[in-house]
Parts: sequence; structure tokens; C-alpha cells
Amino acid sequence: MGELATTTIVGIGGFVIGLVFGAVVQRTNFCTMGAISDLVLMGDGRRFRAWVLAIAVAIIGTHALYFGGAIDVNKSIYLTSNLGWLGAIIGGAMFGFGMTLAGGCGSKTVVRLGAGNLKSLVVAIVLGIVAYMTLRGLLALARVQLETATNIDLKTRGLNNQNIGEMAGALFGLPGHAARAIAAVVVAAAFLVFCFKDADFRRSTTNVVAGLMIGLTPIAGWLVTGILGADEFNPTPLASLTFVAPLGESLQYLMTFTGSTINFGIAVVGGVIAGSFLMAVATGTFQIEGFTDRNDFVRHIGGGALMGAGGVLALGCTIGQGITGMSTMALGSVIAWLSIIAGGYLGVKYLEEGSFSGAVRAVFARG
Amino acid sequence: MANQLLDAKGLNCPLPILKAKKALKDVPVGETLEVLATDPGSVADFEAFCRATGNELVESTQQENVYRFVIKHVR
Repeated sequence: MGELATTTIVGIGGFVIGLVFGAVVQRTNFCTMGAISDLVLMGDGRRFRAWVLAIAVAIIGTHALYFGGAIDVNKSIYLTSNLGWLGAIIGGAMFGFGMTLAGGCGSKTVVRLGAGNLKSLVVAIVLGIVAYMTLRGLLALARVQLETATNIDLKTRGLNNQNIGEMAGALFGLPGHAARAIAAVVVAAAFLVFCFKDADFRRSTTNVVAGLMIGLTPIAGWLVTGILGADEFNPTPLASLTFVAPLGESLQYLMTFTGSTINFGIAVVGGVIAGSFLMAVATGTFQIEGFTDRNDFVRHIGGGALMGAGGVLALGCTIGQGITGMSTMALGSVIAWLSIIAGGYLGVKYLEEGSFSGAVRAVFARG
Repeated sequence: MANQLLDAKGLNCPLPILKAKKALKDVPVGETLEVLATDPGSVADFEAFCRATGNELVESTQQENVYRFVIKHVR
């Protein structure tokens, strides 16, 4: 192992996690967009509960690593004292709306790409380019303006991070550490009850397994970047599963390969493509698919662009904020997660009604 | 033969379900709707749809790359 550079080790770790993630999603049909559309279109909450179960598992694992002293999650981008609440709301809603237009979120796009869907190739390219434009390109100017104008620096209010437990503790005069532990236990327990009190979900082995397995992947991600990636001269930034920025970085990596080094996120994207490809071939579901009509093409491009810009504004996607961020119990992640769900709900209504105004009317008419 | 046909080939989740839900409204109770789709995810989706909405999935077959579902409008 001493021969391998830390970046290589982190790359291998990320690839393996991606491989598992891709195979599980392809096999179980786990889908955060599908979770919302199942609820809205047919009142079936099983896939939504699989998502909530994944969050609960990730919360438990992440807090075990944090309180066990293995990983300092405060160093992740989710828990900083810089609270981007408006970016989380706007970006989350854009991402949620975009994923219904594009037939799936960032991770699902990568999974379907591995299974032969060329529509997803278009979405991945558009998402990646727009994400990078929002990170560092033309759109970054507007993003920085928005963040400077609205982000709240919690340090000025005596808080070191945006963990909801610590924030609540500060309000009620509880010690931060204790409040954080209590909040994690309460939220994880509530989520587990929400999942397993439903007999339909309990009986659906596929969804239970999907939730458990997907929930383990961000925990594995912390271990790879936080422990395998520990290097006193060149430490790896603490990160875990997320797909928006890594899709942009993956495109850049492919184009500038000889002058680039791999990072965790890029390796995960590669692993997911490989994992879903192998699972699709093994189960006989690999199939080359393309666009059949113009409107479908336009919807996918629009959805990819909305997810790229929205995902960067919100600091993550349904996986990056919706599971990894939620596992740290950051306030920004909770806001982003709820905004993504709201945007996804509106997106399904938009597809159902055929127009944006119709969708808004439908949302308010039925409450 | 089914009473009505919905061609959802080339579309992916959630559109085949969304269109089937709409089309089923125009199918009288007791009659059937045939749906053609190419999205591999639609197999699980239509099972879940019929389960959750109380309609009957009479048939779920695959020929080449096309999935065929026949749904009986129960309620």
C-alpha cells in the first residue's frame, strides 16, 4: 500500500463504493424522483420510505463515526457555519423540478447511462456542463452574488456549525455535544418508525434492502476520504456521496486527463456507471435507448440544466444533500431536502397538467 | 385484445405511469387498457401502480425490447 499515492487509494475506494451503489440502484429500482412520483401519482409510499430508511441508516452511521472520534464531519461542506438558506431553497426546488423532467436525479441519470440509456448521456453532459458553469463559469458570478447577499454567518450568532441539534441546544441552553446526540437519536428513530410502521414497506424486501444498502454508502464514503485519504502533507477533503459537482468534474477529468488527478467524486461516478452496466448485463436489462420525440428531448435538456445549476446552488442533489448532507443533520441539508421534494412534487404536477400555471393551480387546489 | 391502446414507447418514468393514469380515466370500468413501453423500469412501475390503485394487471409481457401491459379498469 505504501507504493500507492493517497489520491489513488481514495480513487479506488470511491470506485468500489460507486460500483455497489450503481448495482444496487439498477437492481432495486431505488429512485428519489420515482419516490415522489409514486406518492403523487399512485399513493404508493414504498420507494419514498426506502429513501427515508437510507437517511436514517446514514444518520446512525455518520454519528457513530463522529462520536467515536473516527471522522470529524464538521469539516464537510454541509456543516459549515456559513448557512446558505436561500441557495438551498431555490437550488433545491430547481433540482427537484428538473429531475422529474429528466426522468431521474443525478445519480439515477448515471445509473441509466450505465444501463444503455443514451437520453441519460445527454442529461449527464448538460448537467455536468451547467454545474461547472455555476461552480466556476459564467453562472458562478450570479451564484456568488446570491450567496454574498443572503448567506448567514452563524459565527456572528455564537454557533460554530449548522447541526440542527447544536442549534436547538444553543436555544435551550443545552451543551452542544449532548444536544447533537439527542437530536440524531430522535430523528433517526422517528424516521425508522415512519418506515417500518408501514406494513406494505415491511413486506417489500426490495425496498428495505435498497434503503439499507444505499444508506451504508455515504458512511463508507466518509471512511474512504476521512481515513484512507488522511495524508499529513496533502489531506483529502472530507467528502462523501454526491453527484452534481462530480459530474462536472468528471467531464473535465475526461477532457484534461493527462494533467488531472482523480478525486473521490469522479471515481464514484465511474464506479456507478460500471456497477449499473454489470448489473444490467447480468440481469438482461441492458438496452440502448434514444430519444423518440422532440418534446422529450427538450424536457431532458431542460431538466439536466435545472439540476446542474440547482444542485450547485443547493450544495447537492437528492443523494448529496438528500442522504449524505442529511446524515450530518445540517440545517442547510434539511432545507435543501425539503425544497427538492417540493420541487419534485411541482414537477410531477407540471407533467400531469401540461403547463406550469396548471401545476401551480393543482398544487394549491388540492393543498 | 384490449379495448384501448396507449403507446408510451421511448418515454421513461414517470411518464408512462402518468399517461396510463390519464388514459385509464377514459376506459369504462370492466374494460382494459393496453400499454406499450420501452423503459425497463416500467415493469416494476406498472405492478406498483396496479397494486396501489386497485386496478388489475391482467398481463405483463416482453417482446424484444417492448414491454406490454394490459390493465383492467376495476375502479
